[in-house]
Amino acid sequence: MMAEVLLKKSFEIKGGDFDKAGETSDEIKQMLKSLEMPPGLIRRTVVITFEAEMNIVMYAYEGIVTFVLTEDEIKLEISDSGPGIEDINKALTEGFSTATDKMRMMGFGFGMGLPNIRKNSDIFNIESEVGVGTRVSSVIWLNKHA
Amino acid sequence: MPDFTHGFTIDASKCKGCLACMRACPTKAVRVHDGKASLLPYLCVDCGSCLRVCSSGAIKPTTLSFAELDKFKFKVAVPSPVLFGQFPMAVSCDHLVEGLKSIGFDAVWDYEVELALINRATSEYIEKWQGPFPLISNTCPVVVRLIQVSYPEMVDQVLQIQPPRELAGRDLKQNYAREHGISPDEIAAVYITPCQAKTISILEPAEQTKSHLDGALGISEVYNDVLVAARALRKKEKAPSKGPGCKTGMVRWATSRWLCPELSRHRSMYVSGLSNIIQVFNDIEKGKLRNIDYIECWTCWDGCIGGNLTVDDVYITRSKINRLQAELPAYDPDLEKKVKLRFPNEDFALKGRLRTRNRGDRAYDLKEQVKRIKNEEAVLKALPSLDCGLCGAPTCKSLAEDVARGDAKQSDCVFYSNERLKQLRKIYMHNH
Repeated sequence: MMAEVLLKKSFEIKGGDFDKAGETSDEIKQMLKSLEMPPGLIRRTVVITFEAEMNIVMYAYEGIVTFVLTEDEIKLEISDSGPGIEDINKALTEGFSTATDKMRMMGFGFGMGLPNIRKNSDIFNIESEVGVGTRVSSVIWLNKHA
Repeated sequence: MPDFTHGFTIDASKCKGCLACMRACPTKAVRVHDGKASLLPYLCVDCGSCLRVCSSGAIKPTTLSFAELDKFKFKVAVPSPVLFGQFPMAVSCDHLVEGLKSIGFDAVWDYEVELALINRATSEYIEKWQGPFPLISNTCPVVVRLIQVSYPEMVDQVLQIQPPRELAGRDLKQNYAREHGISPDEIAAVYITPCQAKTISILEPAEQTKSHLDGALGISEVYNDVLVAARALRKKEKAPSKGPGCKTGMVRWATSRWLCPELSRHRSMYVSGLSNIIQVFNDIEKGKLRNIDYIECWTCWDGCIGGNLTVDDVYITRSKINRLQAELPAYDPDLEKKVKLRFPNEDFALKGRLRTRNRGDRAYDLKEQVKRIKNEEAVLKALPSLDCGLCGAPTCKSLAEDVARGDAKQSDCVFYSNERLKQLRKIYMHNH
C-alpha cells in the first residue's frame, strides 16, 4: 500500500538558464530545514536536486522536478524534454561527461551528476529516449536517518 | 529549551525598541515585543551585528570587568594581533605593553610562536585531511556557531585545532606558574578582543571543553586608558624613536592567515563577511563548490580588523598593519628555530567534539511539522510582504514562522489590527 502523501511540490526548470540554476535545490533545502529534518537527509536530498537541476540546465530544453514527501520517504521525480541519453551505462560512470568547454569553464561538467544522484539515492531509476527526454526517479528512505 | 550563553546581553531597561538590531540580524534571531528587543537563542550565532547598530546602549558585550579579575594573583593580557594596528604609528610595542600594565595587567604575552605553530599545524591538517571537503577554519567563533546552528551537516568539516589564543593561554599559565611558583589557577589569561564573539568561545567553548582563557576585554574598552599611558610614556622619552613602532611578529597575523605562504599553497579560499560566508556555505551544501580543500572564513568584513569592539576604521587599520608588516623581515630564523623545536612535541587537537545545536530534545512528529509549514505558508500568503517589522518580527516570513509555532498572532501585523497600531502608538509616540 502506498503511504499517504504529506507534501508534494513541482518546480519547473528551463534549459540553459545557468543564472537561476540552484534555486530549486535552495528552496527544497529551506523546506526540509523548516521541517527540522535530519542534516544528513537534507544534504543527500539537496545534492540530488542540485545535480538534477544542473543536468536539465546543461543538457535539456526544459524539465520538471517533483518533490514528494510521505511518512516513509522522499521521492524526487525529474523529467525533462531534451536530447536524451544514448548510453545510460556510460552516463552513470564517474567522470564521464559530454559537457561543452563553456560548461567546464563555468565549473560544471565533471561527469559526477548522475553518479552522484545514484550514490545518494536508496532507490534509483533512469529511463531515457534519444530525441525525447530523460526521466530519473530517486527515493530516499526516512527511517535510515532517524 | 537549551540555554545558550551569548557574547552580549540586552538590557531591557535601556532598550528603546528602535528595531535597528532586529533589522540588522542576519539570522533573524531578534524579536521586538512591547517595545523591547529579545533574542531567539537557537537562531543567534553571536555575530554581534545587533551590538554594532544599537544606539541606546542596551546591547552590551559580555566582557570582563577588572573587579572580576581581583581574585587572580597574576593577570596576563593576551592581545589580539589586531590591537597593534589600532594605535597611532608612533606608539611602540613597549608603549602598548606598559599601557596595558598601567590598567592592571602584570604581563603581556607575545604569542608569535603559538601563531606560527598553529599555522603549521593547520597546514599539516589540511594535507592529511581525507574529506569531506572543504575544511573550514575555526578561529572565528561565529563561523563555528553558524555551522552548528544553520549547517549542522557540516560540523565534521570544521578544523579541529585549537585557535592560537587558546594555545597562548595554556602556555602563559605554564610559564608564569613556573616563574613565580604559583598555581596556574591563580593566573588570569585575558584576551584583548576585537569582537564580542571571542568571549563566547571562552565562556562556552563550542567543543564543550574548558577554555585556557579566563575572559576577554574589548579593545574599545581598554583603548583610552592604554593610549593615555602610552602617550605619557612617550613624552618622557628623550629621543622618541622614528618610524612604525610596533615590531612584534604578531602583526603578521593581524590580517588573514590565508595570505601567508604556509596556507596559500593549498587549494584554499578566503571569505569574509557573514552574507558571503552564507552564500559559500549554501554552495558547499549543494556540492557546487569543488576542488577547494580549505576555506578560511571571517565573519567581519576584512577579518578581525573589522571587529565590532575595535576603535579605528578598518581601512586605516589595514593600512597601518601593512606598514607594520613591511617592517618585519620576510624570514625570521629565530622564530623558525623555535617552531621547529616545539612542533613535533605538541598536541594541537581540540579536546572536545563539535556538536550541532538544536531546539532541544522533543519527539519529532513529521505530520505535525508538515502541518506547521503548511500553516506557515498560508499565513505568509496573507501577509503584505513589506517586511516593515512593526509586528516585532524582522520579515513577514519570520512572523509567519512565529505564528505557525504559536509564538505570535497574525493580528500582530498592523494590516490586520487597529489595536496593534494603537499599542505601537503608545510605545513609540509617547511625546505626542
